[in-house]
Amino acid sequence: MRLLLVEDEARIAELVRAALLRDGFVVDVIGLCADAREALATTPYDATILDLGLPDGDGLRLLKELRGTGNSVPVLVLTARDAVEHRVAGLDAGADDYLIKPFAMAELMARIKALLRRPGGALGTTLKAGNVVFDTIGRDVRVGDRGLVLTRREIAILEHLMRRAGRVVPKTLLEDKLYGIDDELESNAIPVHVHHLRRKLADHAATIEIHTVRGVGYLLVDGKP
Amino acid sequence: MNTAPSLQRRLVVRLAALFIAGAAVLAGFLAWRAYDTADSLSDRELSLRAADLARYVTADARLALPETLRKAYADPASSDIFAIRRADGGIVAASPPVFGQIVQHWAPTTEHAAYFRFDGLADARDYYGLGLTVDSLAGPLSIWVARAAGATALVHSFLEEFVFDIAWVIPLFVLLTLAVAVLAIRSTLKPIRDVSRVAASVGPASTSVRLPTANLPAEIVPLVGAVNRALDRLEQGFAVQREFTANAAHELRTPLAIVTAALDGMNPDAELDKLKADVARMNRLVEQLLSVARLDAVALDVSADVDLNEPAKDVIVSLAPWAVAQGRAIGLTAAGRPVMVRGNSFAIADAVRNLVENAVAHSPPGAEVTVAVHEVGRISVTDRGPGVTKEDRGRIFERFWRGADARSPGAGLGLPIVAEIMRAHGGRVTVEDASPGGAVFTLVFSLWPASDGALRPLA
Repeated sequence: MRLLLVEDEARIAELVRAALLRDGFVVDVIGLCADAREALATTPYDATILDLGLPDGDGLRLLKELRGTGNSVPVLVLTARDAVEHRVAGLDAGADDYLIKPFAMAELMARIKALLRRPGGALGTTLKAGNVVFDTIGRDVRVGDRGLVLTRREIAILEHLMRRAGRVVPKTLLEDKLYGIDDELESNAIPVHVHHLRRKLADHAATIEIHTVRGVGYLLVDGKP
Repeated sequence: MNTAPSLQRRLVVRLAALFIAGAAVLAGFLAWRAYDTADSLSDRELSLRAADLARYVTADARLALPETLRKAYADPASSDIFAIRRADGGIVAASPPVFGQIVQHWAPTTEHAAYFRFDGLADARDYYGLGLTVDSLAGPLSIWVARAAGATALVHSFLEEFVFDIAWVIPLFVLLTLAVAVLAIRSTLKPIRDVSRVAASVGPASTSVRLPTANLPAEIVPLVGAVNRALDRLEQGFAVQREFTANAAHELRTPLAIVTAALDGMNPDAELDKLKADVARMNRLVEQLLSVARLDAVALDVSADVDLNEPAKDVIVSLAPWAVAQGRAIGLTAAGRPVMVRGNSFAIADAVRNLVENAVAHSPPGAEVTVAVHEVGRISVTDRGPGVTKEDRGRIFERFWRGADARSPGAGLGLPIVAEIMRAHGGRVTVEDASPGGAVFTLVFSLWPASDGALRPLA
């Protein structure tokens, strides 16, 4: 899987590249807007990590141009700018995600993988978290080498949580995804499914845990190794 | 503040003093002139009377007065006396005759009136008169005419009346002038009061405000112009400060990002975990210092309509993974409906984030930190930690203040930032004991109505 890293700060570029290489990605590092423009025009990258303050121009302009040409490559903006207007501007310009320096490398990796796992993304087929493997095509869940039997809705919940592992998945999002407009939705439907899912995962000695963030949603984390 | 001398009062006091002094001088001058005029009037009258008498002297040096005049002079009560003497010393006529005998010994007169005072008559009255040489049919004659002093009383009383008529008008005129002066000063100072009002709105949040010079007195315009130019320089200073803050953010973050990323890439061991914790702490300190610098230098735009449920939820979504990693739970009790306030969503989120970070740091493992949004326009953050003692409550919002528990993480900037953000929102942050233990920090928003006039906090 090939990623483009647009970052002029050599040390950061080196460290991010090393981390991406460790996770099995192929990475091109570019330090200038002009070079990035050319690379994006000629190479079909699976995702791009874009720093905003580049020596020969503004990353946001590059991003707007890119979206203007219809290129929908997932873009994660990485920047030291955090003033609120910059955050908003980044997302308005077509960034898929936004990470502020300094950042935890694990966070960057998780977010890149989340981008790649989006529908149509390059990591679409198999989700992994801890010792749980989720084949999104076969709708098959395994804990270690044992298969896990789940209901349709439990599988759907697990898929969303694993796609956004390490981040909070709002309960409202699960409700929207799991239930059609016409479906009768009981207020405790999602909690009941999550409860069952948790018990089944625990019964199979899964290392992942599903935490409730009361009033907001759920958070799937890789349990202590 | 001691009272500065009021321009208006000073002007009124000084004008009043000037008017009173002026009025006194004027009245004195008028009185003096009036008496002076009365004197010269009676002098003229005496001269005319002398000339009149000369006309009635016949060629054979006899006085042939008309009957009425003769009777008037002859009246013993008459205040007028005269004596006419020929050049050779013979008396032509005198009234009373004894005055004729007296003037026989006086020096000869000239053509210029010579004044005299005289009290030698039997009636002992004080006479005032003049003597001069007048031509007549009988040749040049010396004529003395005089009038008893009291006889000018009529003239004087008339003049006195005139003086006092004027004099009583003067205080009235002074009062009127003062009133006009006060009104003029007031209306002149009004634009200055308006300028003061505009000046009161100048602050770090509004450095672009300039004082209006329209309608100002010409004398004040240079001062206002100088203040405006000072404001120009201050605005530039603030711009530089903003620029510096933005640059500092970038310059500090990049090396920190490198260190953070480098540590993440190392093989895990216990020492590395400590190092990572130290760097995380430094990251947070830098973030907070930048927040403080930004709040000091840049005005917070608090003009947006914010549903308090949103920043509360955003903070929980972003901090939940961290809180869970710390072994703490986190929960939101949202209000049942939108709770609209006027403010800055990101700043409110920053305030809530600081409170939640503190709450998680002070909570025992397994406890839930609860963020609650209240329909009255409040967000509360409750922990199950040791709480805040009453003595500390006033000081925890001071910069760099750290409690007796110096082991607590952070540099003592989080709560001051929260307080600053709430001040910018016209609200405040409070701390109380939570039940059954722990602390509850509450962000209290002022009840500005949302611009759409829809749901708003209740009083």
